[in-house]
Amino acid sequence: MTQTIDISSYSTITDAIRSEARRILSDSTVSAVIGYTAGRRKGSTQPIVITTADDADQLIFTAACLNDLVVYLTKAKKDVPKSGRIGIVVKGCDLKALVGLLGESQLKRENLYLIGIPCSGVLGSLLKPSAELTTETIASKCCECSDQLPVGCDFVPTVTPAPLPDLEKRYANEIARLEAMTPSERWEFWKEQFSKCIKCYACRQVCPFCFCEQCLCDRNRPQMVEQTPRPSGNTAWHLVRAMHLAGRCAGCAECERVCPMDIPLNLLNRKMAKELKELFNSEAGFEVRDTGPLTSYREDDDQSFIR
Amino acid sequence: MSRIGVFICHCGENISRTVDVEQVAAQAALMPGVAFATDYKYMCSDPGQNLVKNAIAEHRLTHVVVAACSPRMHERTFRKAVEQAGLNPFLCEMANIREHCSWVHEDRAEATGKAIEIVGMLVERVKKNRVLPTITVPVTKRALVIGGGIAGIQAALDIADCGHQVVLVEREPSIGGHMAQLSETFPTLDCSQCIMTPKMVDVANHPNITLHTYSEIEQVDGYIGNFQITVRKKARSVNEHKCTGCGVCMTKCPQKKIPNSFDCDRGMRTAIYVPFPQAVPNVPVIDRENCTMFKSGKCGVCQKVCGPGAVDFEQEDQLIVEPVGAIVVATGFELYRITEKPKGSPIKGYGEFGHGKIPDVIDGMTFERLASASGPTGGKILRPSDGKEPKQVVFIQCVGSRSREKGISYCSKVCCMYTAKHTMLYHHKVHDGQAYVFFMDARVPGKSYDEFWRRAIEDEEAVYIRGMVSRLYQKGDKIVVMGSDISVGVQVEIEADLVVLATAVQPQQGADLLAQKLGISYDKYNFYSEAHAKLRPVECATAGIYLAGACQGPKDIPDTVSQASAAAAKVMTLFAKDKLEREPIVARVKENGCVGCFACKKVCAYGAVEEKEIRDRQGNLIKVVAYVNPGVCAGCGTCQATCPSKSVELDGYTDEQIVAMIEAL
Amino acid sequence: MHVDKQKHTFEPKIIAFVCTWCTYAGADLAGTSRMQYPSNVRVLKFPCTGRIDPVFIIKAFQQGADGILISGCHPGDCHYIAGNYHARRRFAAFRKLLEFIGVDLNRIQFSWVSAAEGGKWVEVVTDLTERVRAMGPMVEFKDLVLEEQWSGNLNNPELQAVYEAM
Repeated sequence: MTQTIDISSYSTITDAIRSEARRILSDSTVSAVIGYTAGRRKGSTQPIVITTADDADQLIFTAACLNDLVVYLTKAKKDVPKSGRIGIVVKGCDLKALVGLLGESQLKRENLYLIGIPCSGVLGSLLKPSAELTTETIASKCCECSDQLPVGCDFVPTVTPAPLPDLEKRYANEIARLEAMTPSERWEFWKEQFSKCIKCYACRQVCPFCFCEQCLCDRNRPQMVEQTPRPSGNTAWHLVRAMHLAGRCAGCAECERVCPMDIPLNLLNRKMAKELKELFNSEAGFEVRDTGPLTSYREDDDQSFIR
Repeated sequence: MSRIGVFICHCGENISRTVDVEQVAAQAALMPGVAFATDYKYMCSDPGQNLVKNAIAEHRLTHVVVAACSPRMHERTFRKAVEQAGLNPFLCEMANIREHCSWVHEDRAEATGKAIEIVGMLVERVKKNRVLPTITVPVTKRALVIGGGIAGIQAALDIADCGHQVVLVEREPSIGGHMAQLSETFPTLDCSQCIMTPKMVDVANHPNITLHTYSEIEQVDGYIGNFQITVRKKARSVNEHKCTGCGVCMTKCPQKKIPNSFDCDRGMRTAIYVPFPQAVPNVPVIDRENCTMFKSGKCGVCQKVCGPGAVDFEQEDQLIVEPVGAIVVATGFELYRITEKPKGSPIKGYGEFGHGKIPDVIDGMTFERLASASGPTGGKILRPSDGKEPKQVVFIQCVGSRSREKGISYCSKVCCMYTAKHTMLYHHKVHDGQAYVFFMDARVPGKSYDEFWRRAIEDEEAVYIRGMVSRLYQKGDKIVVMGSDISVGVQVEIEADLVVLATAVQPQQGADLLAQKLGISYDKYNFYSEAHAKLRPVECATAGIYLAGACQGPKDIPDTVSQASAAAAKVMTLFAKDKLEREPIVARVKENGCVGCFACKKVCAYGAVEEKEIRDRQGNLIKVVAYVNPGVCAGCGTCQATCPSKSVELDGYTDEQIVAMIEAL
Repeated sequence: MHVDKQKHTFEPKIIAFVCTWCTYAGADLAGTSRMQYPSNVRVLKFPCTGRIDPVFIIKAFQQGADGILISGCHPGDCHYIAGNYHARRRFAAFRKLLEFIGVDLNRIQFSWVSAAEGGKWVEVVTDLTERVRAMGPMVEFKDLVLEEQWSGNLNNPELQAVYEAM
């Protein structure tokens, strides 16, 4: 039964973000704040970089604030000032990505001012941005979120998000469904999914962890992954991506959201996260880690699969 | 465009017996990029190498593939030949069509087909090989020797005599090792201590030797020419610089009943002790487990009587860092401990011989101590149970050794000779006694060895019984030894007063742990592995580390000393040059692609990855990238497999080379 | 000694990714000891299992490998201290990914074969070859390579629904 989700706190959060942004911009704590603002279509939102306290009132937070803004700190820095500390609005999932980037020397904590959102969930899609947030329309990642309250931020509005109703664990269920299949059934499933890929690389573009200057998949000497959007190269691309994100992906699910062909990309990432949790008891969190599960080892790691 | 030469070796008949080498050459000639292909009987011989060199000049070859044995065997040979012909050695690859093909497949068509494919893979690979310049690294002309037995002592003295500094590290309080425990040595029966102790004193007095006894290797960093060794100098509780070695502390120590392991627990020592009177250094150590002061805080007699005030109960373990350029490992052996099975050991016990339960069943080393003039009995052969002189002694050889079903399949090499020696020593000391030896066969090759063994039988009246013992049991004050004499086919039963077991020679306990610190390989018994069984018998596969003595395999004293001197010669060869040339198989960072995530740094076991700032001309920081120190990098390539963008690349094993091989399949 | 060789209808292509210090040397030992094993295996030598990139496995499958062996030094014996430990984690993860997208893991064998284990090399290679032979050719990746055209349909109902919603 579809249930409405209580997001009444979002207006309080919006007010709190605005006043905090105004304060840190006017006392020059930061040179800019990256946040969300209203989009042109009713209810929609878009990222914004504000550099003056006067613009603080443009900031909002609604259930349509889907973007993981962390990419604006690394790859999409065009409108972000080059110097000074940067303020950024982060949900729990976004913060985990940001923490991952801190661990990979891509960001420095002292250059950031983190405005955390006590999050009650966001929409799964921006096709109907003014839709009500319900147990149906909520994003799949939010259904399995255990980090509504971000930890370690410089500022978090003092609201307690309403507890989420029981939500269907969509990824876990889908992973279980696939795991129950035979290998050839799974192959058929993914073959169909990967064959849809048009190699637009939107998934790569939006991913906070795809920060390489030159992607392995764009290299020609040697050509590790075929670049044309054909089934073989597509499969290789998605396998390589899943492998490169394994142990790093924080589950912001932006890749899946931006995929124009609706490939369930986050399913691969969630599966890898699940396996790494089971194998090495390692998962993305709010604490900066020196090494990830695939850049470290223990002498007594499981080797039951090795003869 | 590459002009590749392919050279197919017959290896006498080793390859050509199962592989149609002419066909391989003919097929290779058709491969794209191949300018010349031929076959020859022995490619590694002088004429064979000349054939390669001449072909390079004649056919203007740019790359070479030699299809022959394993690259582990002859890659160096051919790379050298190619270099002499003016090509960069790393433009030569070997296709292994012997170990991986002709020797393991019988079907000629199948083996030939496989050989052609292997050659094809290597032809594609070699096209992607790049010219790699040799790397030179500085050499610290200072050596570390681990183990102060005869092997370590010999190696240390040789290197030190050559004028280089040596750091000698010994785990026990004194150097000397097992040789210091022996009574007399075969085949000359000269007293072991008489020939050993002068060498020990030489070590102590040598200006070029720094001696760390009662010390262990804590950590090994660095690489050939540039190792950093952390030595843990265990707390001796006696200040080495103040102690004069007068020994008053030992005479006054109230704890006098501690079994002395130097005497195989037959003799007793005090809690503050030197293991034996001729110890080097002659500085006692306090056994903190047995010292009353350390147990109850009440005693301190040694401190009170010590004139120079050398006893220091507060002393703590010290960590000393020693920079060295080469390491000689000489950790020696221990005897197979028949009563106890080390944890996790695959070797099964020998409960039927009653060792550890029947007091008069002892091992060979215990007999050495009984026979030694400085031993617990003052050189008299007296049995442990009642101190009586045994009149019938049974020696059993191959206890542990050569028993596949028990877990040790190798021959311990020294037991035949030392058992023969034991029968003689016994006969010299107990004129009316009779020695019996149960043996499988006598393995006594070596200068004057067979003569020695014959002497034990012919002149010294030892009775050798060919056969094994099935059971021992105590009967009154006798030990009944039941065995068989297979040369006459009868069962033998001897009522012995003493039984001596020639137990197997094994590596020291913890040999595997030390190997892991050093990064050297070892076999399933934990004996250290040499780089090549015949041609590089003293080198480890890990550059800059050499082996001496029984840590590599069972050895007698002459062999041990020879190997120690050989290892020393290898070290001196390394030290002969100021700079060492290294194989350029190291990782290199492509700075334009690197975004500085330092995943490479996290996985590098050698600490070879550093952070490097890239600045523009004005000095503004553009980015921080990884930098691989080519002197430290060992060339494993873990960084490259970890790097998401492959911005670090291992020369010699680049993605291009590997993908070329996969695509050739 | 000469056993009549059984002729098979299907000869699988087995690609072995091995480290040079342990498994390659173990395979050398198998040769030096004149042990016999199926000739299907092609050995690719790496300095260390730590150098083996999962991409190579994908490449090998695309190139028509029916079975893959990845083998290196036993834990603690790595010539490069810890390369095999890193490889162990990497492939523990990667095999789960392959399994999830529908690759039968019976086609991939991981093993530790030391320089002293010529016999184990023979066993591992023989077992894998026979197992893969029984499974038949690995068609999945090869089929993908053969599919020339993008198979997505531009006017499928899902896309239509998306256009209308915009």
